[in-house]
Order: sequence, then C-alpha cells, then structure tokens
Amino acid sequence: MTEPVSISLTVNGATHDLVVAPRKTLADVLREDLGLTGTHVGCEHGVCGACTILIDGAPARACLTYAVQMEGHELTTIEAVAKSGELTPLQRALTQVHGLQCGFCTPGIVLTFEVWLRDNPDPDEAGVREALSGNICRCTGYQNIVKAVLAAAAEMRRGAGA
Amino acid sequence: MTAAPFTQIGRALPRKEDARFLTGAGRYLDDIAPKGTLTASFVRAPHAHARILAINAEAARALPGVVGVFTGKDLALWTTNLRLAPPIEGLHPVEMTTLPIDKVRFHGDPVAVVVARDRYLAEDAAELVDVTYEVLPAITSAAAALAEGAALVDDALPDNLVSHQSFSAGNPLARQTEAARVVETQFDLHRHTHAPMETRGCLADWDRGREHLIMHIGTQAPHPMRSALASRLGLSENQVTVISPDIGGAFGQKIALYREELTVAALARHLARPVHWREDRLENLTAASHARETRCVTRAAVRADGRILGLELKLTEDFGAYCFYPANYMARVIAMILTGPYKIADYAFDVKVVLTNKCGNGPMRAPMAITSWVMEGTIDAVAHALRLDPLDVRRVNALGPADLPYRMATGELLEDITPLETLEAVVAAVGVPEFRARQKAALAEGRLLGLGFCSVVESTTYGSGFYKAAGIPGSGHEAAWVRIEPSGAVNASVGLMGSGQGYESPLAQAVAEGLGVMAEDVNVHMGNTDVAPYGMGSRGGRGATAGGGTLFLCAQKARDKVLAIAAGMLQINDTEGLRLFEGRVELMRGGAWEPTGLTLADVAKCAYLDPTNLPEGVDPGLDASLTYDPPPMTYSNATHACEIEIDRATGALRFDRYLVAEDCGTVLNPIVVQGQQQGAVAMGLSGALYEEVIYDATGQNLTATLADYTIASAVEMPNIELIAMHTPNRRTPAGIKGMAEGGIMGAIGVIAGAVNDALVPLGVSAQAMPFTPPRLRALIRSAGSGAPDIPRKERP
Repeated sequence: MTEPVSISLTVNGATHDLVVAPRKTLADVLREDLGLTGTHVGCEHGVCGACTILIDGAPARACLTYAVQMEGHELTTIEAVAKSGELTPLQRALTQVHGLQCGFCTPGIVLTFEVWLRDNPDPDEAGVREALSGNICRCTGYQNIVKAVLAAAAEMRRGAGA
Repeated sequence: MTAAPFTQIGRALPRKEDARFLTGAGRYLDDIAPKGTLTASFVRAPHAHARILAINAEAARALPGVVGVFTGKDLALWTTNLRLAPPIEGLHPVEMTTLPIDKVRFHGDPVAVVVARDRYLAEDAAELVDVTYEVLPAITSAAAALAEGAALVDDALPDNLVSHQSFSAGNPLARQTEAARVVETQFDLHRHTHAPMETRGCLADWDRGREHLIMHIGTQAPHPMRSALASRLGLSENQVTVISPDIGGAFGQKIALYREELTVAALARHLARPVHWREDRLENLTAASHARETRCVTRAAVRADGRILGLELKLTEDFGAYCFYPANYMARVIAMILTGPYKIADYAFDVKVVLTNKCGNGPMRAPMAITSWVMEGTIDAVAHALRLDPLDVRRVNALGPADLPYRMATGELLEDITPLETLEAVVAAVGVPEFRARQKAALAEGRLLGLGFCSVVESTTYGSGFYKAAGIPGSGHEAAWVRIEPSGAVNASVGLMGSGQGYESPLAQAVAEGLGVMAEDVNVHMGNTDVAPYGMGSRGGRGATAGGGTLFLCAQKARDKVLAIAAGMLQINDTEGLRLFEGRVELMRGGAWEPTGLTLADVAKCAYLDPTNLPEGVDPGLDASLTYDPPPMTYSNATHACEIEIDRATGALRFDRYLVAEDCGTVLNPIVVQGQQQGAVAMGLSGALYEEVIYDATGQNLTATLADYTIASAVEMPNIELIAMHTPNRRTPAGIKGMAEGGIMGAIGVIAGAVNDALVPLGVSAQAMPFTPPRLRALIRSAGSGAPDIPRKERP
C-alpha cells in the first residue's frame, strides 16, 4: 500500500498524470500533489464535511476516498465554482447574509449546495437544514447559511424564470 | 440606545475575507508548504497516568524516510521549562518540561516525536515507537483528586488542589439567619472541548544563515506567542517572527504556546529544515485543550418576596493534568462576576481548582460560561421554593437605571448596562401570559412545554487594571499603527489576530471613522509580528474595544497630522473648521462643509514627496502609532428567552422560539456582531445539549472522534431572534463595549431554565448537563420514583 502507482485524475476538467501511494487519500492528493488547497481537511473520518468535493457531480468526502479509486471519474473542487471570477448566486448570498465566518467549512458547504439546489430549486427551511446536517460549522450556528441557501434558491428561480 | 453620529462605524459592510473563503482561496496553515518540509507526528500515551520506564525508538528510526525520533530528554536540551508562578495566594506554582520525561499525566500526553519525510511515514514510525510504562492510579474526577491519600497528578505539589481562593463581602452567614428561606442549588457543567474545524498545527522554518525562526501558526495572540517561543528556545525576541495565516476557528484553543508547537520549533532549529505539524482530529479532541468541567453550589438567603439578602458560592473546577494558564484564571472570573445583573451586597465565594488525569483546561469561548446559569438557576430555584413568579424574583433583585454605576460586592464596577431593559424587552416579545396558556393546554394533552429566561452580564474587555488586581502578570492594552502611503492608500495594523470573526471590515471601519475615509479604502494587516505592533492579541470580547478602539484613536492621531498639513497647503492658520471626510479635505463655511479641492492623496504626496513645503514643525511622512489601555473591565449585557418542548417518550428537545435582547454598546459592524451573537448562542446550546468529553474510570477518553464528541448540526439549532440595543460605554473610544462570549453564557442558562420549567409538572429538575435526549428521558422516567438526577458519567 505504500509503493507509489501511476494514476490519471480528471479534476476541474483537466487531466493530471500522477504517481501516488495507494493509501493516499484523495483530499491529500488534491491538496499536496495538485495544490488545490481549497479542499479542507477537518476530521479525516467523514463526519465534518469540510473536505466535500464532487465526484461525477455528486457530493462526496475526499477524506474517505483514495485517489487511486478515482481514475475515470470527473472530480470538481471549490476552485472550479467561480472559475470565471464571478461568484455564483449561492456564493453571493453567503457573503450578503454573512453565512460564513472562519471559512474552513465553507468550500464543502458551497459544493454540497451547488448540486443540491439544482435538484431542489424550491426548498423549504427544514429541507435545507436536513441537507446541511452533513456539514459541521463551528462558527455560525447555521442560521445565516440556511438563510443564504434559501435566498440563493429564490435568486436562481428568478434567473431561470427571466 | 443613543444613535452615535458615525458614518463608517456601524455600516453593515460585507466582510473583506469572504471572497477568498468562498472560492477556496483562503490561506490556512496547512496550505503553506515550503520545499523540503519535514513532518512531525507525536507518540502519545495510551494511559491516563503512568511512569515512563523506557522508550525504544530503534524500529522507528530504521524506517526509510524517518529523519529522527526525539523525546523529552532531547527537548530539555533545546528548550526551557514552562514555569507558572504568579504571586497569588492559594495558587501553587507549577512547572512542566517541554515533553514529559518521567511520567505521563493523561491519555494523549505526548511522549516522543517522530520527524519524517511525510505525514504517512511519520505516523507509521510513531506506531513503531515502543514505550514501557508503569501504570499509576488514574484520578478522573475532582472528588477523587481531593480524596485523602489520592495519587498526585503533579508530583511536585503537596496535593491535587492546585488553587484555592475564598472571599467574603458583608456577612452572608448573618443574612441566612435573617432570611425566610435558604435555597441551595447545584450546577454541574460537564467537560467540553473547543473543536475548531481547523485543528492545531504549525510550520517552523529556521533560517540558519540569519539565525532566525519563522513560525507559521494560527494564533489568536501573535506577539505573546513570539515572546513565549523566544524565551523557551533561548532566542532573542528579534530572532523570531510569528506569522498567523487565516485561522479555521480557535475559540480560545489557539492562544498558549503548546508543547507540540514548541517541540516543532526546536526541531526545525535542530535539523535546520522546515518542520510541519498538523494534529489530527483524534489528537485535537483528546490532547489539545479542554474546558468548563465545573461544579457550583449556591446558597441564597432570601426574603419571602424573593429578594436575595446574601449569596454563597462554592465552585470546583476539574482542571485536567497541566496548567498552560494560572489555574485560578478562569474560575476566578466566574466568582467575581456571578451576581451580574442583581443587587447583592453580602456575597462570599470559595473556589477550588483541582488537577486530574485529563487533558488540561484552557479558556474556551466564554471561560465564565457557567456564570449566568448559576445565577439565573439560583433565581429560578428561589422562585420555585417560594412559589413566586421567576420574573418577579428577577425584578425584585435587578439593578435598575437608578442603581448604576454599581460597585459589585467583589469590587467590579458596572456602568452603562441595561439588564432590566433587556429583560423587559424579551418578556414583552415572548408574550408570557399567552405562553403560559399554551403550556397549560399542552400539559393537558401530556406534552411538556418550557419557557426560560437568562440575563447575562458579560465581562468583555479586560484592561491592565483587571490583571493587576488579579495578580496575573500581563497587560490588557493594545497597540496600533495607521499609515497613509504616498499614493493616499491607507494601511493599518493592530496586535489582534482574528480566527474567523471577520475583523478586516469592522477594524477598517474603526480606522476609516477616525481618519475620515471610506472603510473600503483601508487595509488592516494582522498576524505578522514583524508588521503588527506588539499587542495582546484576541481573547475574551476585547477585539472591538481594545483593537477597534486603539485603531480609532490612532487614526484620529493620523487625521490631526493630515489636517495640519492641509491647513498649510490651504494657507489657513489652524485646523479648526477643517475636516477629512471620505478622503476629501473640507472646510466649514457659513455652517456647512465645503470642498477645498484637496484630497488625502494630495496631502500624502506633500508629506512624502514634497516635505520642504510642510508647515513649520511638521515632520515628513504620515505614520501614526499609538497604544491604549482600556478600563479595567467593560461589560455588555443581554437577556435570552427560549420556548422549548420536550418529547416525553424520547427526551428529544425542540426549540419553538429563541430570543436575545442584547446591549453591546456601539457596534463597528452590525453584520459581524449579529454573526457573533448567533454563533455564540449555537455554541452554547450545542455544548449544553450534545457535546461532552467523556473519560472512563481508568482515564480513557471515549470521545475521540466527531461521531462521539457530537457537535450540533443545522437540524438541531434554532433560529435566533435578536433585539438590538446600543447603550454606549462612557469610558471607551466611540462607546464600544465588545461582545461575542455572552451568547454562550445566556444559552447555557436559558436552556436550563426552559428545561426545568418544562419538568416542573413532573417534580424533577435537571442539574447536570448535557441535556441529551437519553438523559432527559431518564429524568422524565425517574419522576415519581423519588430518584434524584442521574449521575452525569453514566451515559444511558
């Protein structure tokens, strides 16, 4: 498990050929081998949700995934979300209503809800809270995160309707 | 509730930090990785209390990629011990080595450190280090620590009672003989830990040529951290630079220089290589620092109308195994401010702090967290015993406007606070009679509804006068500089370091207000000890008053020079009638401000690039610096109220409503303040309801993952309704008071009040937190059986 192997990873649309130990987590490979440090490591046992990324468009824990498992999959990290430099409606709402403080859990929350809002365009508060329960935030008490997600949903519905 | 005539202070500006945090561009400790960096991993004790007989690291050293394995004996050659010996009566001096040499004192105590090429290898090697122990009896409770013949946690002390202070004002015993009733109440607050989302860590880089240490570390107090590092490494303070990157939460856990961090710094120097360490979550939960485990007993001597004639407090804190702070430091504040919003002249306390074989305590957001629960729980118990309305008992004891300023029995001075006003504000907002009707109707259906109130007087800014009076060396002052650069750009710095609060916008607002520019045009630089002036860092609720206040005053000093230069440029005799407003110099003419055509950039250009044209006596440049020592203490106040329902079958607790009326004076930025209020309440509730550090009888920590140390998720937390009040403090710059810890005090107190209100019909009361569903269910099932509250350690 410690002898490095060659793998190819597709991250944010780009393909990378890497040599990594099979036991190295996806979170560590993204951060250390690819320099994508926006994926944060909070617990390394799958509870806190800080390391949430998208695997083939679905949220997943990068700390519970080995990089060698990811050949042939499309990976998306926080660095790809506002790639053009313009924040998404969700990111804008998070800053407008103060839905983040230390920012350590924020990338995982942004990725979780960028996907969730696509599947749940008209959510209610209880639904947002349920979906958010996979991400621990130690700073905000969640209230403004929930408010931001609801505001972003409304904004996206307006955008879609226009 | 005075509206201050400010234009920059009080603006609801979004936070400057947000754009980088939202895009993954924040730079935290673990994101910094110079070439050739080695990684450290600590070997930790599997026992709560044991002698170290031998350490065999041969197998670990033989592993390819391992650079070395080091122990307490090595570190003793490179570092000095930590000795804490403030001259405080009843406080034993304590001393610890950088890593334990003779014995370990808690499950997780570091006994050796491995340095390797990467973290995976370092952890492999750490597992190969073979330590031989002789297991000693584990002290796992305050009662066991104080028992006759108890094993000593610290062999250098005569017993485990590391600190013991008592105090009496007036004559509380005499009041008991005069009283209609003496009501005794007990409060058990369990062991918590800070659990910031980003664990501790550091990156030490020794510049061999310059003989200079660069320490990258997320720290709330960069300069005190530098002092400690330099002192314990035998370096001068001009050989150490501390650089704090963005911090993923701290909550008091990132103030002291911990043993692991000093070890890493010493290793970087020894090996002349950058050495990195980031603890994992297990280490963070078991071995970073813990907090709170405190038992209080009050005895209130009361008149028939509920007026408290005298009050006694007995407090015992389980401090864990090591003192990174003077052991009396946290408990003392609880005892000092206990009476808070009430008029109680006859007051005595007895405060014991004991060592046990657990991870050492540190200040966790609101080190005095239990205070408001103890006081308000005492009031509720008095009301219950005398069959009075708890609100009436509060009113009959409350400090009203006519009582202020008020000198508490302990000597603390309360002024510019509004406890009665915040109480009445939430009482009105709740609609108490309507709630009681709902509660009665629900009870008829067998449902348990509860309503609690908790008033908070929060000690926020600790000035030097407070430390002096407490006998603790140190200062409460803060330092700042403000520079207008040749282009007119404004830079500023202060000794604070934020850990997520969002200092950059509100502190820019303080500078902008004092100087006369837009907050958007100010950059405040924090965290680098070569850039920032020596300040005392971020602790308590001092950020706004000490940090913002110092920056505000410093910016005013810079503004005075700007106006003096402007007066010269405008050929006016003095600066009377001149102001800088949004970066433009304006002149008062006929009762109105008029533009002069001069801007801050014009003045800066003259100051730096055309100094021969400066008015006589004015030096070139625009660079102001200033230090400021706040009053001995500032206070904010609040009242919390919440309505809950407890499910009789499961013990699950649901919030129906949560309100806070808070008066924290002038606020720099209401968005950031609101975030702090919500966050503090949530942290308090999460701790009161779900979180608990649990040790078994042998001292094994059973809550070493986030699946065991359970932090509330979005599903469990309520929305918080805020009623904002703003009575300025008369003694501080701009009337700032500070805040951000009181929410925890209020949350703990109000949830206890609401739970006990809900349990009244069952004839049981909850005196030990956390109020988890299994515990509440057990309490409900004990009703009628005569069984007392179940012991805290037996988690059903």
